[in-house]
Amino acid sequence: MSHGALDPSSGVRGATAPGAAIDVVDLVKQFGHNRALNGVTFRVPRGTVFGVIGPNGAGKTTIMRALLDIIRPTSGQATVLGTDSRNAGPDLRRRIGYLPGELILDGRTSGRRLLQHYADISGPVAAGHVHELAERLKLDLDRPVRKLSKGNKQKLGIVQAFMHQPELLVLDEPTSGLDPLMQQEFLRLVREAHDRGQTVFLSSHVISEIQQAADQVAILRDGRIVTINSVDELRATAIRHLRLVASGIRPTDLAALLGGLDGVTTLDCTLTPTGDTEAVATLSGDIAPFVQAISTLHLRDLVLEEPDLEESVLKLYSAPAAVTQ
Amino acid sequence: MNVRRAPLPLFGKVLTDSWRGLLGWGAGLAAAAFLYLPLFPSISGASGMRALIGQLPPELVKTLNYDQIGTGAGYTQATLFGLLGFLLVSIAATSWGAGALGGDEESGRLELTLAHGVTRVQVAVARFCAIAAKILALSALLFVVVFLLNDSSKLEIEAGNLLGMCLLFGGVTLLTASAALLGGALTGRRIGGIAAGAAVAVLGYVFNALGNQSASLEWLHNLSPYYWAFGTSPLSSGANVTTIVVFYAISLVLAAFAAVVLRQRDIGV
Repeated sequence: MSHGALDPSSGVRGATAPGAAIDVVDLVKQFGHNRALNGVTFRVPRGTVFGVIGPNGAGKTTIMRALLDIIRPTSGQATVLGTDSRNAGPDLRRRIGYLPGELILDGRTSGRRLLQHYADISGPVAAGHVHELAERLKLDLDRPVRKLSKGNKQKLGIVQAFMHQPELLVLDEPTSGLDPLMQQEFLRLVREAHDRGQTVFLSSHVISEIQQAADQVAILRDGRIVTINSVDELRATAIRHLRLVASGIRPTDLAALLGGLDGVTTLDCTLTPTGDTEAVATLSGDIAPFVQAISTLHLRDLVLEEPDLEESVLKLYSAPAAVTQ
Repeated sequence: MNVRRAPLPLFGKVLTDSWRGLLGWGAGLAAAAFLYLPLFPSISGASGMRALIGQLPPELVKTLNYDQIGTGAGYTQATLFGLLGFLLVSIAATSWGAGALGGDEESGRLELTLAHGVTRVQVAVARFCAIAAKILALSALLFVVVFLLNDSSKLEIEAGNLLGMCLLFGGVTLLTASAALLGGALTGRRIGGIAAGAAVAVLGYVFNALGNQSASLEWLHNLSPYYWAFGTSPLSSGANVTTIVVFYAISLVLAAFAAVVLRQRDIGV
């Protein structure tokens, strides 16, 4: 059996090899007067899931296209699976599965024939694997591609990237156009790829779509990486919305109690019609001091929401001074 | 167990995608031959037709190459190889050449192909070869159709001359296609390829027609691929082998240049 077709237990060839799957150093890409990438540096260890989050136009697609040698960097270096991207030959690209951000597929043929074509040039593809992926994504392979909805075309693009079980998956906005159920199925595919030792590099403009899958997240803005964090770290700095109702305390006293805590902002304490006091605020950072502070209260209700990564990421987007790596 | 993989996937893909179109072009070409050529006996015999041509402005007659219309070879060249057939296959060649790289890149499809296990040179070469195969197929079709009509239409064309003419016809249209391929590779747009292909075909035709008008404009023939191919009346006097070789050689050079250009560029920007 050749290297591309593997049973899940055997692991992916090269997955245990040392070094990074992607090593990008000071990557700059200039399009005319527009500097799309402004010195981007990051490293994706093998076998991890690495996400890039950024608003449209931040440079996510440019990075991915440079990794695939579709565009050439103005300066800097990108090493993919141990090979300089500029020397990337067909052998390297056979080890990569790529889903373009703006997926345009040949509409004249059926999904099955299109996938067969890509298997012909990039294969080998294990027999039955395409069928299995299509089944999981509920994709009809016999319909002409031009008659597929945007979501179904996206599924075809995903199958195309995953089918030869490449060592590295480069997925640009992979969940765009997918309904929530399919987004979950896609994330399962990513997790399974991760379990097999494949490396996944994916982008999104919203973190909620990939936060379950990614080990690390780079936040990109204006062609620069603002920060690279693990999702847990982001979660720790993220903002939670809280609401509590306590009895036997006046709004001013509650405001004094909570207002003194680190990380509590936009605090608003009001008297409810039932005579209780309601506090609404946002909380960032460690929750232990907050829990301690409210332990003395006579609580009637407490809602502490899931940390909103979106909001904290958006704050990083708009941070005036970029903290580069 | 792996899925079976087709040999020459890039070349084969072009043909599987476009065989219907090729059949259409072939049907049009055959229809043109079957409409024009059987008329020859009635035209050549009729003094009225000759009188009519005598009344046309000589510039027009020369532009349409109707001055040679008295022989079967001259008539076939003037009506089929030099006019309707040339027009049809030049349009097909321009559209194939412009679509192969420029159109494919402009639509965004080329990006995904190049992200797979191929080199850009392989893509350019395979697509050029597929276009060449299609043009040679149309030229072969012309050979067969004219050969079949030769007796019944009293054309009296020698088979060897017909073969040479069909090779020249394939050469001049392949040159058009290669220019379109290169135009598309240089610009990354379909329109760039169409402009380059149309320039070769249309300017070639125009320069030939102008060169026919007077001795002072004859130098324009040197710039006209159309004249290189048809100027020496290959159907009656035989094709020059060197000319045939030169057409295919220039086409190869243009295609190679297209491959090199494509290799250097950023794709889809």
